[in-house]
Amino acid sequence: MSQDSDTSDTNDKHTGASTPGVMVLDDRPERAAMVEASLERAGFRVVSMLSTASGLLHQIEQHKPDVILIDLESPDRDVLESLAIANAHNPTPIVMFSGTDDQDFVSDAMRSGVTAYQSQTLTPDIVRPIIEVAVNQFRYFESMRRELRESEQRLEDQRAIERAKVLVARQLSISSEEAYARLRRISMDKNQRLADVARTALAALHIDEPEQ
Amino acid sequence: MTQSNNNLPAPEVAELDLGYIRLSDSAPLVLAQELGFYEKYQLNVTLHREVSWANLRDKLVVGSLDATQMLAPLPMTTALGAGGLRANLLTGLVLSLNGNGITLSRALADNLAGLGGSPGDAAGTSAALAELLNTQPSLSLTLAAAHSFSCHILQLRLWLRAGGIDPDSRVRIIVLPPEQMVDSLARGIIDGYCVGEPWNTAAVQRGIGTMVTSGFSVWNNLPEKVLGVTDAWHQANPASHLRLRLALMETCQWLAIPENRPQAARALADPQYLDLPERELLPSLCGKLQYQRDGAVMDEPDFHVFGRYQAGFPWRSTARELLDMSMEMLGGSATEAERSAVVQQSYRPDLYRQAARHLGITLPATDNRPAAAHDAPWQMAPGVEMGADLRLAPLKAGGH
Repeated sequence: MSQDSDTSDTNDKHTGASTPGVMVLDDRPERAAMVEASLERAGFRVVSMLSTASGLLHQIEQHKPDVILIDLESPDRDVLESLAIANAHNPTPIVMFSGTDDQDFVSDAMRSGVTAYQSQTLTPDIVRPIIEVAVNQFRYFESMRRELRESEQRLEDQRAIERAKVLVARQLSISSEEAYARLRRISMDKNQRLADVARTALAALHIDEPEQ
Repeated sequence: MTQSNNNLPAPEVAELDLGYIRLSDSAPLVLAQELGFYEKYQLNVTLHREVSWANLRDKLVVGSLDATQMLAPLPMTTALGAGGLRANLLTGLVLSLNGNGITLSRALADNLAGLGGSPGDAAGTSAALAELLNTQPSLSLTLAAAHSFSCHILQLRLWLRAGGIDPDSRVRIIVLPPEQMVDSLARGIIDGYCVGEPWNTAAVQRGIGTMVTSGFSVWNNLPEKVLGVTDAWHQANPASHLRLRLALMETCQWLAIPENRPQAARALADPQYLDLPERELLPSLCGKLQYQRDGAVMDEPDFHVFGRYQAGFPWRSTARELLDMSMEMLGGSATEAERSAVVQQSYRPDLYRQAARHLGITLPATDNRPAAAHDAPWQMAPGVEMGADLRLAPLKAGGH
């Protein structure tokens, strides 16, 4: 997961000539891994990936990141900022309110859940593409999660309908085709989703949906 | 009781997004919703529980929040760009006074009690801690506060100095999110902390820590949370801002009545707000706290002050003190002129006065209040009741 910076990287960093070292702070390991891979494809260097604040101070001292990417909703942001206040060498919040353009960019990044901290030796044109990579990956991750949720929902709906069909058929001593047709008719008459009608039927029969 | 809405200009925006943190003193923001005071002023408010002060600030600055609960020093330190981010923020209303406590691990607190520092005795516990540190030079303590620019950190430093402990060298002070305090104390990562309620009571009730002093005993009636907005938002929405202050001031008047506090605790406990057990919220809100598990219940009517003692007034003298003390921690990089300008821009008694006149509240004639002069409530002028204003003095001269 984490990748230690080697000696040459550290030396380069002090000359300010090499690619900046990025630390990723994210409690979702899959998303952090996506950000890391994507940054490396774009030629950036991830020095460390952390999931919580424990050891944050130590990690920052050890890896001396130039840029820190952090989930907007991480409670560790105040901790991170306290480190910058205590030591001017630690990355500070990205200076985002200098121009209208920047503000739009930062608002946009925040909406996707990304915030960033940068060392004061870096200029915004170096940091911006790093944030863009993270923003894209956060968005991609969110769309994947949405798709997953939707497909899980479809599967659950299907299970409820199947079970209701069987149990209504048994209860009324009709065929499961006839039970399905009746459920569909109720669905159309009441203008309710078929899965919701199925769940109502299951509840009426005092039968819970199957666990899996 | 109050003047009709007809005397107020129409709100520029009626849909407002407000941010708050999971703390007992977010009561004004939450209860204004529950009691319908936003609605009374034709505001449709959505409350957002946020996980960090950094989030509140950033969302305020980019406009995804219209107004937020904010630590009292933050409008000023942010306007000065301390910590790297500069933005023009202001407050026209203080939401609460006091509300914090200093909690130590039970073992450490027991040690202090053995040295004459009983829980609840601010000066005594500090003196006992100083003695402990003197007799054990190798003892290394880590204490936490909720933010670099907070009353918590200033109260922690005042308390340490009262016993003659140098907060910059003899102990280590770190920042931790309030919600991580109790667990970090239980795991021995820290030895104590200064934080807002219910995170002191939670440690006491769970048998993890002992509260050694209230914030009130360290510094009486210190403004704790303010209503923060950006200067740009205020300029664009003066009428909405006024209505918001009025709704919150009426809520604070309601909260000033002790009999209403249990209802406030019940509302805050709800999963949609703080999502915490009511039993952890009741003690401080009702002013009846236990400093240690199975200990006596202490009467602390001013543990949280809302709507009394001119609590809403953004005193410029206090603002300047908070700013100076915060800058002292930073190594004092702002000039006298910069500090004075920031206090003028960030703390706005004129806005408080504007709202107070609508509610018929008698106003003080000055924007400054005396410091360290009263050990009990007193009258500044007829109808202007003030609270005590003492604070712990540093043991050695030349503190700050």
